[in-house]
Parts: sequence; C-alpha cells; structure tokens
Amino acid sequence: MESSDEAAVEKCRVHLRPGTLCDAARATLHLLPCEVLVNGPAPVERFFTPAIRQGTDGLEVSFRGRRLRGEEVVVPPGLEGYVMVMEEKGEGVGKDFSEGSSNLREEQELAAPPEALERDFDRFMGATASFSRFTLWGLETIPGPDAKVRGALTWPGLAAAIHAQVPED
Amino acid sequence: MDLGELDRDSTSRCRLNSPVPAVCRKEPCVLGVDEAGRGPVLGPMVYAICYCPLSRLAHLEALKVADSKTLSESERDRLFVKMEEDGDFVGWALDVLSPNLISTSMLGRVKYNLNSLSHDTATGLVQYALDQGVKVAQVFVDTVGPPETYQERLQGRFPGIEVTVKAKADALYPVVSAASICAKVARDQAVKNWHFVEKLQDLDADYGSGYPNDPKTKAWLRKHVEPVFGFPQFVRFSWRTAQSILEKEAEGVLWEDSPTGDQEGSGRIMSYFSKGPRTHPHLPHRYFQERGLESATTF
Repeated sequence: MESSDEAAVEKCRVHLRPGTLCDAARATLHLLPCEVLVNGPAPVERFFTPAIRQGTDGLEVSFRGRRLRGEEVVVPPGLEGYVMVMEEKGEGVGKDFSEGSSNLREEQELAAPPEALERDFDRFMGATASFSRFTLWGLETIPGPDAKVRGALTWPGLAAAIHAQVPED
Repeated sequence: MDLGELDRDSTSRCRLNSPVPAVCRKEPCVLGVDEAGRGPVLGPMVYAICYCPLSRLAHLEALKVADSKTLSESERDRLFVKMEEDGDFVGWALDVLSPNLISTSMLGRVKYNLNSLSHDTATGLVQYALDQGVKVAQVFVDTVGPPETYQERLQGRFPGIEVTVKAKADALYPVVSAASICAKVARDQAVKNWHFVEKLQDLDADYGSGYPNDPKTKAWLRKHVEPVFGFPQFVRFSWRTAQSILEKEAEGVLWEDSPTGDQEGSGRIMSYFSKGPRTHPHLPHRYFQERGLESATTF
C-alpha cells in the first residue's frame, strides 16, 4: 500500500462490526513473494493447493512458472488473524438510516457514545475470515526466521508493552 | 513404457530405464543421445540414451531405425517394441523433464537456460550408464547449440570415451536414431496421458502439436489462461508465446526481482547534481522499515 505525504488523505471514521469477528470462518492463507496487480477472488483450491509438494526441507510450489519455497507461520499467542474487508462508502450507513438492521443496533449499543452517522464520513469494516496460521512463500528460498513478516508479528507485543501502564513505585 | 512415476508427480523430473543387458557390461558399447520435445510450449522435454555393444551395432541397424521425425507414430511404437524385444543387447534410459521444471529453471533468479539444462541432462544420462556398469566406448550426440563447444565440454567430462557431437546425428547414426525413437515415444505418451495437477474444469484435450506456431496450440493456450495463476503447469511459462499471452490476457505480477521502472533507476544519480532543495519523504523508523510495516491511512 503506497501512502505518500502529498496524497490528500480523506478523513473518515471507521467502525468495526464486532459480530463479524465471531462469525468469521477459518481460512487457508498464502503470502506470496510477489504482488498480483488485482484484488479479487482466485481459484486457489484448483490451481495452487493441489500443486504444493512437501520437499525434503519445506514446502514447494510454483507460481507463474517461478519456484516458491514455503513454511508455516503461526500467529503469536494472544493474537488472532482476520481478513478484513471495508464496506463500500455509504453502504453500511445507508442501511442503518433506512432499515436499521438489528445487528447494527446491537453494535451501536456497545460502541459509546452513539453518534449520528454521516454518509461520507463513517465507514464500516468487517471480518470475512479468520486465521491463526498461514503459509509464507519465498522466491526460490525458504523465507526463514529473518522474514519481514515474522518481524512484523513482533510489533503488537512491543506496542502493548510501550503503551502499558508503568506501575508507580 | 511405464510412465507411472511421472503421473504420480508431474512437477519435477523422472528417470526411466530398461534393464542393463549383461553383454553391455562386458563389451565396449556405443551410446547415442537425443531429445524430443525441445521446442513445444506444452508438455515435458524427454532426453534419451540408447546403447548396445559395438559388435551388435549391425543388428540394431537391421531394425531399420531412423530419425524419429521421419517415422510415423505407429512406426516409432513398433520400433520401440522391437528394441524391447532385443533387450538382451539393447539398453536405454530416459530423463523426463516436466514443463514445470523447465519453466522454473529458465525463470530462476539465476537463469538456467535450456541449452545448459539440455547439456547437463545429457551428461547425467551418460554418467548414469557408466554408473550402471555399461562399458561406454563411443558416444554420439545430436547437438544442441554449436556442436564444437558442446563436444569439447562432453569430451572434457568423459575423457576416456570417444565423443562425437553432430547436427542431425539422429539421421546419421543408428544408435542416435534409436535414442530419438525412445525419447519421442515417451514424449508422445506423456503428452497424451498428461496428469494435470490442477483441478481443471472443461479441459480441452485438443492442444495440437504443442509447438508455438501451431494455431491449435495457440488457441488452446488462450482458452486456458487463468487471470491470476496464468496456465496449468502443463505449459512452459518461460516460452515467449506463453509470456505474450499472459501479458495480454492475465493480471500483472510484480516480483521482488522484477526490473523496476524509470523513476527509481535512471533518475537517481542525476538527482545528486540537481540544484535546489531535494525533498526527502518522511520515512518511518528503521524498526518499521525492516519489518515492512507502514501506518495505514486508507483502507
């Protein structure tokens, strides 16, 4: 995700739909060492999963004719992985204004204080899947302990420590 | 010919061989090397060796083996059966290189081109025969690339053997013709009974010759493009034909070693000489950079 300073950052208020976190089904995830320049569904189960081989050291597969080597990464204890999807602008807000789904009512009761929602300001996001592990793939080499994403997973723990209350002594 | 091993795993390579005739371990032998399926954009490439004692070469010639390209499929099958019947003095071995192996070799970070892959496979097969105890005295090879350098390489690798590398060796030397028949029979069988690793829907088995210039093959490729995954592993992704279809009809993919655009490469050095203040984008702390973490401002 590219975020340059010059780009006008559109202000918005993001609401999480807590119910989706409980309902989210377990998903099998693969993190590839490349960027596919499109966002959308792909037939992973038909094209990718059946081609995975257990090699002598780690998993092997190929993508677009390039060899990948992979390993399982476990989400650190105390954390849970979610695949989050942002609802279209005004989608959730409109729904709330017109029909007011019961689900949303409940959420709003939890979120305090209940404010009026604005069409262009309030956005909703929800989980479509959850995971506690994923397969990390490297281009021709096993990503190993130095993989960036492994480092990234240490941040929540550090962040919690930084923000924790220091006991007065 | 039992290609069962290939059916079990069609993503790598597999070796197949006849029993070694006892006489080939006793008498000096002549060995031919040839390949089938080097050009096609579909299916495996098959390397084959065929060998027999020098004293029995006339018997092999009597089978009327010829360059596999000049024979019909049924003639090749018939000749292969005959060679099997003469298993008391004719031996063969194959190395079937899957299209996936070819793609991943050619598209590796360090490019392993088809000529090197071919040379190494041929060398591996000759070595295999030696390891099996075949008394190889002469080797005849149909060339891949310039014959002189190839011959020099092989001769250097096997100093005790008389090596001959020639263009059209498959038409000149019966033992190479025999190898070309083994290779072609295996390639045809592998393509016909290809076991797709992917779970494909309405798969069209009519892919023509597999050569890039065959309109049927091109039509098949266009029909079976998958926007994200590209093609099934039956296709050699490294072929220009496959690449250009992907460029037009599949989604773009950027790899960490993909060549970057102008804005990063060429502009850089000159920017040191430019006047005026250079704008430095605000970079996050190294902790975050090293972990690929960025603060999200948009979703």
